[in-house]
Amino acid sequence: MTLNQVRAALARVGLVGIEADEERGAVVLTGAVASWDQYVSAGYAAAGQGFRGVVNRVEVSGLGQQPMALPKKADGSLDGLEYDVVVIGGGVIGCAIARELTRWSLSVALLEKEEDVAKHASSRNNGMVHPGFAPTPGSRKAYYNVRGNRLYDQVADELGFRFERCGSLVLLSASWHRLLYPVAARRARRNGVDGLGLLGRRAVLSREPNVWPGQRGAFYLPSAGIVAPYEVTAAYAENALQNGAAIHLNTVALGFTVHHGRIEAVETNRGTIRARAVVNAAGVWADRVAELAGDRFFTIHPRKGSIAILDKKTAVHQSMVFGLLRLKGVGHSKGGGITRTVEGNLLIGPNAIEVPGREDYSTDPTDLEYLMTHHLSLNVKLRPSDIITYFAGVRAATFEEEFIVEPSRSIANLVHAAGIQSPGLAAAPAIAADVSEMVAAQLARQMEVRANPNFRSRRQVSPRLAQLPLTERARLIRQNPAYGRIVCRCETISEGEVVDAINSTLPALTLDGLKRRVRTGMGRCQGGFCTPELISLIARETGQPPTAVTKSGPGSELLVAETKVGATNGGGGHQ
Amino acid sequence: MKPHCDVMVIGAGPAGLAAAVAAHDQGVRVCLVEREARPGGILKQCIHDGFGILRYESKLSGPEYAQCELEQVIDRGIEIFPETFLLSLGRGKTGFELTLQNRWQGVFTLTAAALVAATGCRERTGRQILLHGTRPAGVYTAGTVQRLINIDGYLPGRRCVILGSGDIGLIMARRLVLEGAEVVGVYEIRDEPSGLTRNLVQCLDDYGIPLHLSTTVTRLHGEKRLEGVTVCPVDAENRPDPARAQYLPCDTLVLSVGLIPENEILEPLGVELDRATGGALVDQTLMTNVPGVFSCGNALHVSDLVDHVSESGEIAGRWAATHARRVRRIGASQPIALEGELLYLVPQRLDPQAKGPVNAWFRSRRTLRQARLEVWAGERRLLERTYPLVRPPEMERIVFDLDGQAWAGQRFRVILREVRSGG
Amino acid sequence: MDERTRALVCIECPQGCCLAAKQHGDEVKVTGNRCPRGLEYARRELVNPCRTLTTTVRTTFRDYPRLPVRTAGEIPLARVFEAMAAIRGVVVDRRVQSGEVIIPDLIGTGVALIATGDLSHQEEG
Repeated sequence: MTLNQVRAALARVGLVGIEADEERGAVVLTGAVASWDQYVSAGYAAAGQGFRGVVNRVEVSGLGQQPMALPKKADGSLDGLEYDVVVIGGGVIGCAIARELTRWSLSVALLEKEEDVAKHASSRNNGMVHPGFAPTPGSRKAYYNVRGNRLYDQVADELGFRFERCGSLVLLSASWHRLLYPVAARRARRNGVDGLGLLGRRAVLSREPNVWPGQRGAFYLPSAGIVAPYEVTAAYAENALQNGAAIHLNTVALGFTVHHGRIEAVETNRGTIRARAVVNAAGVWADRVAELAGDRFFTIHPRKGSIAILDKKTAVHQSMVFGLLRLKGVGHSKGGGITRTVEGNLLIGPNAIEVPGREDYSTDPTDLEYLMTHHLSLNVKLRPSDIITYFAGVRAATFEEEFIVEPSRSIANLVHAAGIQSPGLAAAPAIAADVSEMVAAQLARQMEVRANPNFRSRRQVSPRLAQLPLTERARLIRQNPAYGRIVCRCETISEGEVVDAINSTLPALTLDGLKRRVRTGMGRCQGGFCTPELISLIARETGQPPTAVTKSGPGSELLVAETKVGATNGGGGHQ
Repeated sequence: MKPHCDVMVIGAGPAGLAAAVAAHDQGVRVCLVEREARPGGILKQCIHDGFGILRYESKLSGPEYAQCELEQVIDRGIEIFPETFLLSLGRGKTGFELTLQNRWQGVFTLTAAALVAATGCRERTGRQILLHGTRPAGVYTAGTVQRLINIDGYLPGRRCVILGSGDIGLIMARRLVLEGAEVVGVYEIRDEPSGLTRNLVQCLDDYGIPLHLSTTVTRLHGEKRLEGVTVCPVDAENRPDPARAQYLPCDTLVLSVGLIPENEILEPLGVELDRATGGALVDQTLMTNVPGVFSCGNALHVSDLVDHVSESGEIAGRWAATHARRVRRIGASQPIALEGELLYLVPQRLDPQAKGPVNAWFRSRRTLRQARLEVWAGERRLLERTYPLVRPPEMERIVFDLDGQAWAGQRFRVILREVRSGG
Repeated sequence: MDERTRALVCIECPQGCCLAAKQHGDEVKVTGNRCPRGLEYARRELVNPCRTLTTTVRTTFRDYPRLPVRTAGEIPLARVFEAMAAIRGVVVDRRVQSGEVIIPDLIGTGVALIATGDLSHQEEG
């Protein structure tokens, strides 16, 4: 519990010349190291020593501050707006919190620096709703994970997103691992995970005939589920909008006006917004947002994970999620495996690598090789050639490897929902419920907070034809023939659905936005056939020229010019 | 109850159009379903010339070739369902059942006694050849670039790198230059080009575009729009040598790295595929292992000449009609064993009962100078041909006859070997 | 004396003979060809290489914004960009059929530019 303990821990991992001090109950590390690995080791050495958190200000030689991608737009269009609550961050946590806050008679705004919600970790994970078996008993992770998992049936029903409780198998690589079952059962009981079973080798095979032949049985977790994480995020956001919340995209929090321990206003690239309460749900940037409010007591250290998507035809080979029981830890990850998606793909991964870049989504050959050797083999039917694409996400990990879901201790009207890495998606409904209570309690000290009589828990959804029975599809096409014209042939998405998404309450105005909303371009051709169609639909519906249509916001324009128009480039001028 | 039609052709590209005409001319009722608004398939965007050298003895552009084929369909009054999407395929009491969707009829079902799948192919993507780095805008397959420029009239970039020396990539190199873009170079991982010589000369040499063999793109850079790529020479095992990697600034990467036959719609019927072609396993009537289901065109195997595509469509259409009229006796087909340097041979099986000459198409594994091809049935040689040059990008066609004998128990073999001079 | 050597790959047939063509003034000497077509090809490539140009022209129709076109015969390779610039200025505003002449004499080559696509079956304007 003393700084000396921290110093000793730093020395044990061979790090000298790092200073440890205390600030707001947290350890603050300063000094310089040679590598990012050393930076990460320093953080871990300082964690778990009884402090509230680790503020790692150690500098890494040759590595400057990692830049945050900022919106290009800067105007005063939001200047002077006033809200009861401003939520910073449009990931699944921020969107779920915004929606839960609309249960109260409060004006709510969500700020997202990107041009759409779910642009970072919330669209870059494997969509698993974890059962809650993995987190340490007694931790906030365990509590929110299990509670969130239980809430999913109801939330999925209300918000109209797909959720499947497919169950998961933690495969055992040695027969004696079965002896660990009582230990596992005790952990499950302590975390509140229901239904943990022990399956023998044959029982596993009878349920999953294509499972890795080396398995010697499995722990079975029936409550594990799957969702499309971007669909969940957009569903929360849309329901929040339908209940009166505002979502300001391309808007980044650059500072706070703090007076007498209260935030009075949020300074953004689009003007100063007055706020009675603020929620920090800024994902990988949550520590920076806390710092802006003068309340930093933790550090986010980005941990990248890559995931490969397999062709839908592989879905018939597996019905549950597969993982492998690893007795020796694989760092701070659950080890990855094979997940199914609600759309019918299989996913392999993720791996876990500490990286300095918080928005570094590049992939490397070594990541993919790792997935192919460690994960693909868990199902004998899968081949590297089944991979249609792969992507990376970044987990917003703290050195305590614990969620931070609490009101600020120094700012009276700030609540943090930070360090929400895996199983954050599973935990989101529970975290959102608690955070909205915390905010309501903070606000109740200065104003009357009543229930919102107009709150509608059910999201109005536009039809997704591929999920409907044929007679229902036929009826919709009669109403709107555009539902009859398929534009994305791999995923069977109609023009009508694309137009709905472009014109929805949370408009999808980019190629990637449409992908997250209706799945266009997510199939095996990866947009080869539908990209030109989608460009012209976005242009038509928004009245912009096709050259203004982007993949993912300004700067990612897809076309540079119309041919045969204007000055020549190649062959000398002539008109 | 009778099925809606005798032969249902799926896809109105060159293979499907030829299949529909051939089936119709056998006196059966034919329907054609097409997912796009206009028939013609990919030919609509292939505005360059060189189509129809064998079939029309002239160098037509893609749209002209498609027009010639389409006119024959229209002249015969063959029923076409345009902009109609095939949702699923199954079997009903009166034959195959197709669940279809379009904007006029909504969702509806049609039945057919025989099916011809002429569904074409798709392009392999960057991730499918394990490209790494970021995922910015500006990375397109060559076919997408072709559609954007030739149909929509938009230029996707100003400074382009082309990966892969397949024909579409070469043709788009020229197109991009003509429309005012700069093409930095074409990079090919193999030690020889994949495209036709004619295209190397007329698309690259004519415009001074360099071709870099044994070199590939290993990494993409740029967050929003592509800013550059890392190009890297490879060793004999296609492994990049990072020491010789080079950064090339560009805003566009055009991928011409292979075509994949599209047969996913057939899978629920249990159609078996050939791993070498990616298309269905067929006999010489181009019937798959599922009686009544035929395959042709690029869905069967990717051709470099549209003339071959049309020819396979004709064969499939004709035999599908024969099947629908129940005048064909299906024999126990036997596999053809491949020996020597053959990458693949279509058909993969022979039905001794099917009368008439056998058309077959093959590709070699590698470039051969002075090669001999032989077709054997047991101890009898049915065909022998020599070739001065055989290259993997250039498909070869052969015809041989099974002259109506009983072939039961015979072993069919096709052999392709290099003939060493003086040896 | 004007002398230059060029390495060419013959594209008259799939054999792809590697030719070496030497030019002495008006005379062209070719080696590496296996048939007379190679000789003729090399001569043409050295003296005045010609190509069929295929491209598009603008239209006024929303459903068919670009019409594919090609030259009815070959034009000198050296004048391809000049031809492209001339084509750039053309806008087709009628429902032409495949084969119709778009430019009768492209940049004075005596070769016509013809439509290879068909606009006649389109419905909307």
